[in-house]
Amino acid sequence: MVALGPAPAPRRSAQRTWLWGALLAVPTAWMVAFFVISMVIVVLLPFGRTTNDGFPVFSTSLDNYRALWNDVYLELFVRSVLYALATVVLSALIAYPTAYAIALHGGRYKNALIAAVVVPFFASYLIRMYAWKALLSDDGLVNSGLRGSGLGDGIAFLNTPWAVIGGLVYGFVVFMILPIYASLERLDVSLVEAGKDLYHGPVRTFFSVTLPATRYGLYGGALLVFLPALGDFVSAQLLGGAGTYMMGNLVQQQFNEGQNWPLGSAMTVGMMAALTALMVAYLRATSTQARET
Amino acid sequence: MTATTTASKPLSRAGTPSVSLRGLTKVFGGTTVVDHLDLDVAGGEFFSLLGPSGCGKTTTLRMIAGFSDPTDGSVLVGGEDVTSTPPHKRDVNTVFQSYALFEHLDVRGNVGFGLRRKGLDRRTLDRRVSEMLELVELADKGREKPSRLSGGQRQRVALARALINEPKVLLLDEPLAALDLQLRHAMQAELKALQREVGITFLFVTHDQDEALSMSDRVAIMNNGVLEQCGTPEDVYERPTSVFAAGFIGTSNLMSGVWSHGSVVVAPSVAIPAPAHHGSAEGDTVSVAVRPEKIWLGDHTDEMFRLPGTIEATTYHGATTRYRVAIAPGLALTVLEQNLPRMRAEDRWDPGDRVEVGWLPEHTVVLT
Amino acid sequence: MPRRSLERRPRTAVAVTVLLFAWLYLPILAVTLFSFNDKKSLSAFSGFSLRWYHDLAHDQALLESLVASLQIATLATLGSLVLGTMLALGLERVRSRRGRVIGAVTLLPLVTPEIVTGVAALLLFTGIGLKLSLTTVVLAEITFSIAYVTVIVRGRLAGLSTEVEEAARDLGCTPWQALRLVTLPALVPALLGAGLLVFALVFDDFVLAFFTTGVDPQPLPVRVYSSIRFGVSPAINAIGTLMLLVSALLIVAALVLLRLFGRGTSSLELITGGERR
Repeated sequence: MVALGPAPAPRRSAQRTWLWGALLAVPTAWMVAFFVISMVIVVLLPFGRTTNDGFPVFSTSLDNYRALWNDVYLELFVRSVLYALATVVLSALIAYPTAYAIALHGGRYKNALIAAVVVPFFASYLIRMYAWKALLSDDGLVNSGLRGSGLGDGIAFLNTPWAVIGGLVYGFVVFMILPIYASLERLDVSLVEAGKDLYHGPVRTFFSVTLPATRYGLYGGALLVFLPALGDFVSAQLLGGAGTYMMGNLVQQQFNEGQNWPLGSAMTVGMMAALTALMVAYLRATSTQARET
Repeated sequence: MTATTTASKPLSRAGTPSVSLRGLTKVFGGTTVVDHLDLDVAGGEFFSLLGPSGCGKTTTLRMIAGFSDPTDGSVLVGGEDVTSTPPHKRDVNTVFQSYALFEHLDVRGNVGFGLRRKGLDRRTLDRRVSEMLELVELADKGREKPSRLSGGQRQRVALARALINEPKVLLLDEPLAALDLQLRHAMQAELKALQREVGITFLFVTHDQDEALSMSDRVAIMNNGVLEQCGTPEDVYERPTSVFAAGFIGTSNLMSGVWSHGSVVVAPSVAIPAPAHHGSAEGDTVSVAVRPEKIWLGDHTDEMFRLPGTIEATTYHGATTRYRVAIAPGLALTVLEQNLPRMRAEDRWDPGDRVEVGWLPEHTVVLT
Repeated sequence: MPRRSLERRPRTAVAVTVLLFAWLYLPILAVTLFSFNDKKSLSAFSGFSLRWYHDLAHDQALLESLVASLQIATLATLGSLVLGTMLALGLERVRSRRGRVIGAVTLLPLVTPEIVTGVAALLLFTGIGLKLSLTTVVLAEITFSIAYVTVIVRGRLAGLSTEVEEAARDLGCTPWQALRLVTLPALVPALLGAGLLVFALVFDDFVLAFFTTGVDPQPLPVRVYSSIRFGVSPAINAIGTLMLLVSALLIVAALVLLRLFGRGTSSLELITGGERR
């Protein structure tokens, strides 16, 4: 357009309002103050040290990060990852058949059934861990049942890796069920029927049609279970013992008993680094898969 | 441009136009959605913005309502520049395509919403709401929640909610699009009658040419953000000024040819006499259009322009019969004939029949 | 939409489902049952008694913890509802690059293990010299819960036509009035759902409370944790039963409210957090 005369002053927008900016600013300020800054402290504190009277102070030492590279910690680190992975695998083995049965064979009770799976997870995690412990303890219902039926002297369930892993599965399996259920819900049944014509037999159909079609639910569930399982310390504390401690227990000890906060922070950062690496790997894997299909 | 000239001469109704657009332009991420639009809508007019989806008509409406800022140009409502006035201070109300009813309020709450904002006292408010519900025939639904109403009733609530504020202009964004065909026809008549009764300027956006032609005092045809033509329904139908207008409203036999001695030569053997068209000179390429129903296959009069042709195809459409008539190699006209009472099946032409087509010279429209 | 089941029932899958249900419910039922036992045993039910509840009612410290946890949950719910809703509205309207970054950052607490959030909060509060108390627990819980509210409210906002807010503006509302008179009322079901979810999560939350609480009074889960570490007892069963009861009441409240307000929202959506992609 050819401008006639002097250029007009920039026009005010009819949409102008401070409202949305203000709405965004307050919670953003909150999150920066209470989350972002706190995370920065976690990363920086390991460069510090503990004074003689037990106070953590900032410094520039690498000792705490270096201290992580130590057989005891590495063993715990590897154990935590293995426990978390075992939790993911077991959860998937339980969650997939459950989600499958409810989503595809639940009929009109489908919503009620999935709600019934979710409801116990609204109960306190701590109380559920406790319930699980009470059941497995030496004088608990399971062992007294075994003794009563003459099946032996009872089994020491607690303090074993499987008790801890079982606790983790008990705690987080719902995070696996829901995404798988959602992806099975979206599954096109005609696809499965076509598969039956093509592959003959429900087993081959399942592995060549149903499972691949719902793999994103499975991946999502794996991530949602792995995250809290890796950082957990309650299961190992209540159901296990010193031999089954995980990274979370170590961190917790540094903050509550050891009182070496810089070292505890270093361990926390180590845990976050492991999680971030796995997350990135996961996102890479799913995004390339998504591009291929 | 001719369209602009027509547009700036509104019906000689009231003095100041209800809505004036001056060089209104909207650019979205590099695409010009509305391009230097000039338009005047007179007071009390039923004015339609007609165009295919994506032509910029809804964007124009949103700029008038104040939901979208123009990139350039200005919007005047009742002679006052409101370009940078926020929507709540504009004397304009909108009937949304989705109706956008407030589901948490009942019908009375919805209809009285605007007046309550203006701080009317309770009794006046109640009375005005009752009157308005009477007008749109929803008097017995005042305490219903919108979710319990039918599509047509929801539509009327949306209308009442906007009209009760007596705006200088009412903007309607495809308000009938969500209704089924039968209800739509009924609502068209109702809407038109309502507009006459309240006397408020209606600016109606639609992609339905039938709706625009049957309801409006004037129609503006938009395409690609540009105003193609603006005029009375008869104007835009009978005398389209652009190829797009001729093709978008109804059907047209469009032929391109070259000006030569007062005729347009569309084929070596076919020269169609055409009225002089300003701005076109000897040898220029132009288009001519003839509506299918203006062409006669018999009963010609002397003033008609006549051509020999051959029937290529005959299609029976119930009330009408449609013929394809070849008038030159590779050039065929569509002809629409009413199936009048006196006509019998054997009176129809069959493919292969030799005929003579003819139409009145004034039905030849030259387009640029 | 009703949909055809695949004809044959997969027996293995059904068996796993039945076992899972047994596993999920039996321990909880056992806890409840043995809280009414008249003996100390956790394996032999010898008779009905309320003696453990009677003990609880006289445990002053425990009652203080219960009150503290209810206070924490109430304040954290209110705080995170206000901040989370503001965030959801702001993110929905300010569609800029900065907005997307803020949106991503605020979701981080959802994918951060609680122990990390807990440690971070502890370090922050100590760093700025804030004495650990119920206040610090509330601050930490709000920070952690904002994301839940935001996700649920954004899900509802996405389903809400922008034309509704425009209609309010058209009818004479300032942006603030449009928000207050039209958008917020439309968000009520989502806000109730989010509120109940956050209340339940915070009331039961152990890890964050563990890291950020002061000495006295301790939030209920923290007190329960220290008792559980020393072993299993019928008294803990009684507390556990009470905590289960609170959770159950919240779920019932949610379902009742849904009946009252929710059209087209299934109870599943509420329980699982409102949004299903």
